Amino acid sequence: MTKKLIGERVLRNEDPRLLTGQAQFVDDVQIPGLLHAAFLRSDWAHGRLVSLDVTKARERAGVVAVFTAEDMGEDWEPGPPLVSPPPTAKDVVFYSRRQVPLVKDKVRHAGEAIAVVIAESRYIAEDAVEDILVEIEPLEAVVDMERALEADSPLVHDDLESNLAAQLFQKKGDYEAARKEADLVVKRRIVIDRGAAAAMENRGIVADWDEKSQFLTVWDTTQAPISIRNGLAARLDLSENQVRVIAPFIGGGFGPKMMMFYAEEMVIPWVAKKLNRPVKWIEDRRENFYATTQERGQIHDVEIALSEDGHILGLKDMFLHDTGAYDPYGLTIPLNTQCHAMGPYDVENFASEVRVVFTNKTIVTPVRGAGRPQGIYIIERMLDIAAKELGIDPVEIRKRNLIPPEAFPYEHGIIDQAFAPLILDSGNYLPVLQKALEMIGYDDFVKEEQPRLRSQGKCVGIGIAPFIESTGVGPYEGARVTVESSGKIFVATGVGTQGQGHFTTFAQVVAEQLGVAVEDVRIVTGDTAEFHWGTGTFASRGAVVAGNAIHAASTVVRHKVLELASKVLETPEEELELEDGMVRVADIPRQSISLGELAALANPLRGAVEPGTEPGLEATAYFGPQYGATAFGTHAMILEIDPETMMIEIKRYVAVEDCGTILNPLILEGQIHGGVSLGIGNAYYEKLHFDDQGQLLNASFADYLLPSATDMPRIEVGHLKTRSPLNELGTKGVGEAGTIPVPALFAQALENALGDRQVEILESPLSPNRLSELLQGENAE
Amino acid sequence: MKIEGEYSFDGPREALWELVRDPEVIATCLPGTQSVQKVSDTEYAGEITLRIGPLSGAFAGKLFVTDEDPPVSCTLTVEGDGKIGFMKGVGNIELAEQGEQTTLMRYAGEVQVGGKIASVGQRLFDTVSKGMIKQGLGKLNELLRARAAPE
Repeated sequence: MTKKLIGERVLRNEDPRLLTGQAQFVDDVQIPGLLHAAFLRSDWAHGRLVSLDVTKARERAGVVAVFTAEDMGEDWEPGPPLVSPPPTAKDVVFYSRRQVPLVKDKVRHAGEAIAVVIAESRYIAEDAVEDILVEIEPLEAVVDMERALEADSPLVHDDLESNLAAQLFQKKGDYEAARKEADLVVKRRIVIDRGAAAAMENRGIVADWDEKSQFLTVWDTTQAPISIRNGLAARLDLSENQVRVIAPFIGGGFGPKMMMFYAEEMVIPWVAKKLNRPVKWIEDRRENFYATTQERGQIHDVEIALSEDGHILGLKDMFLHDTGAYDPYGLTIPLNTQCHAMGPYDVENFASEVRVVFTNKTIVTPVRGAGRPQGIYIIERMLDIAAKELGIDPVEIRKRNLIPPEAFPYEHGIIDQAFAPLILDSGNYLPVLQKALEMIGYDDFVKEEQPRLRSQGKCVGIGIAPFIESTGVGPYEGARVTVESSGKIFVATGVGTQGQGHFTTFAQVVAEQLGVAVEDVRIVTGDTAEFHWGTGTFASRGAVVAGNAIHAASTVVRHKVLELASKVLETPEEELELEDGMVRVADIPRQSISLGELAALANPLRGAVEPGTEPGLEATAYFGPQYGATAFGTHAMILEIDPETMMIEIKRYVAVEDCGTILNPLILEGQIHGGVSLGIGNAYYEKLHFDDQGQLLNASFADYLLPSATDMPRIEVGHLKTRSPLNELGTKGVGEAGTIPVPALFAQALENALGDRQVEILESPLSPNRLSELLQGENAE
Repeated sequence: MKIEGEYSFDGPREALWELVRDPEVIATCLPGTQSVQKVSDTEYAGEITLRIGPLSGAFAGKLFVTDEDPPVSCTLTVEGDGKIGFMKGVGNIELAEQGEQTTLMRYAGEVQVGGKIASVGQRLFDTVSKGMIKQGLGKLNELLRARAAPE
């Protein structure tokens, strides 16, 4: 049998190029005659565009052109909806309002693009932006979600009756009946605020129109190159085969780069074609804070009903979701929140209504976690409060409510983000919780360590939070696997890469099938010239959906290899081995042929290819799951609070994950580490502060606090494997898992550390400052 | 952002009032002021250069004086914008006599900023504006002393 490679700790194929600065990023693209773009952005969050005078900017030496919405003429149109609007059903309200390339009449958030300057250099372009005279008549900004829904609130979109963007009610069972039976009903308001994705690389785009070949090439920091290609072709009235979109190496996606079309993505290719000159725009960090999408703002009114032994009888969650100025991403985030609000627990009665609200703030689309952390935060907070009220151990109350292994596939009876029934495909939740308890030494800490440290005056606490993560959703991905005459393998797939290690994990899948070394598999991702079909890198789906497509294509190629080798070596296929790039007769190793030789034989220069066969050792395959696979895990942490400053130190951090078959534990752990660091930021560092006029007050890394390396704990990762029945490899996604439970875990550990000070945490993100305020509030009473 | 404070001047209230209502004086006192023109008795237009941390730029703005009760109080409204953002503020000043040669000025107001000053300069804006006010009032007091001084 061929050497086992799936599940091995293989070092990353891409790292030598990345670590030596040889990898291409968008800003590395240099084309002779390249022009540079800078955008004029609104200082106001809400206002009417009264006048715009670009004369002076156009006159500046080195400026090639300046464009406004007017200048775009009939080509000016809002971006397409990114996901299809919800099916028209009873009780579903949805108003689609999409972002515009350049502001035409009204500014709807600070930082919205109003005009673009194209110049010989970025310096000149930036200077010329300051030459533009813009007059905006300010309007009262819509910032607070509840105020936004009041009858006399100003409107973000004047043609709508209110700022309500969408409304959706979901239920299972009968919550009100369950509530009547309950021994305890806990009701709380939970507020979750916005954060940034803060990818290391900002967005960027280079567009090059070749008039002679009538061909457009675009380099874009997008997570969805194929969708961008298709959309650009449609917008620019070109064939999809006249547009090539390349998403090269990208310094982090985390969701916002899945958003499309950003204003700049619509404008820059249009300008390049219009001017017949290549144009580059690289987002600066301040622009990133305004113009790149953000997430997490929600206000929940939650109610949980329990029996006295701690069993959840029902959960009711009525919430508001802030979508910002537009809603191109439909209901994905709030639906994810609803689908995770029951966590890994067996909840029979559930009622949840979301009202999505337009505000004069940056557009909201998924950020790593995508509505899931909010859902998990709610259920975990409510369980913590209920456990206290009922006098049940917080771990015990969770154990009593976990969905049992025999209940899978577990159909929840509500719809998921794809408007399909929410089904948890497989799971075994208790062992994961147990493993986390063991790894962190829960009993020992609670019984001995914590009392001992407390007696020394130390403020230490423990938290433990189980969670689920819906991953690997459809519709599909595809891949083409080719054996080249060198004996090396070439693989092309449509998904883009933003640092996930695809060049290694995908290579492992192929190498295991074809018996070659992992480094002999060359992978190309995110180049529409190499692969024509696909959707994108989102929803923790790369390894699941593209991974299984690659596996399927490799399996077909393996079959082709063995079939041809069988003829050449005159040996039945069953007696052949595929190893070290060679096909060998099992008992007679000297009787063998290399993959390269077979590839050459499969593509003869003379003679005849048999009818009904194809040349080459190549196959293309697609994979589309029936529905998403649900991964799960439990995180645990021990932290110490400095009671004077409320600064924290994480003493231990344990993450136990079950994402089915593991392709590469090293890369998996890297994903967890990255996810946890964003989670820690979300929990205790990062918050976007908007004032009541929609001005973002901390749009720089001097004011927006990211956790740094010294804030990061050593993360101990534990693995369990419950295969997903939905795909051949048995994989589930893990890209967002690290982030999801962290705010809930933090809240629990902080409360535990503060012990008898009885502070109840009902918000996220927190900060040392905010925690002090909460404690002072409690003291004042 | 709220601005609030008081300042004790070494001179009579009438004399201070005259200074406060003289655009030339304001131009001299407020740091960074490039020009002030009188549009009417209650409206002035001017230009000021602000430096807030990493940001600096010229602001073109207008100042309106309303609810005037000489020599006791008035309301000042400022509106301005420039390359680094915009600013809007409303404030009240009140002059109280504290003996013949001492006048106490109380001022309170609210300033709203937007654009780069808000997003990058917010943290520093408070300190900068307090510094500017302190410097301006100090200068004003010097002028008052000079006028009030026996010839």
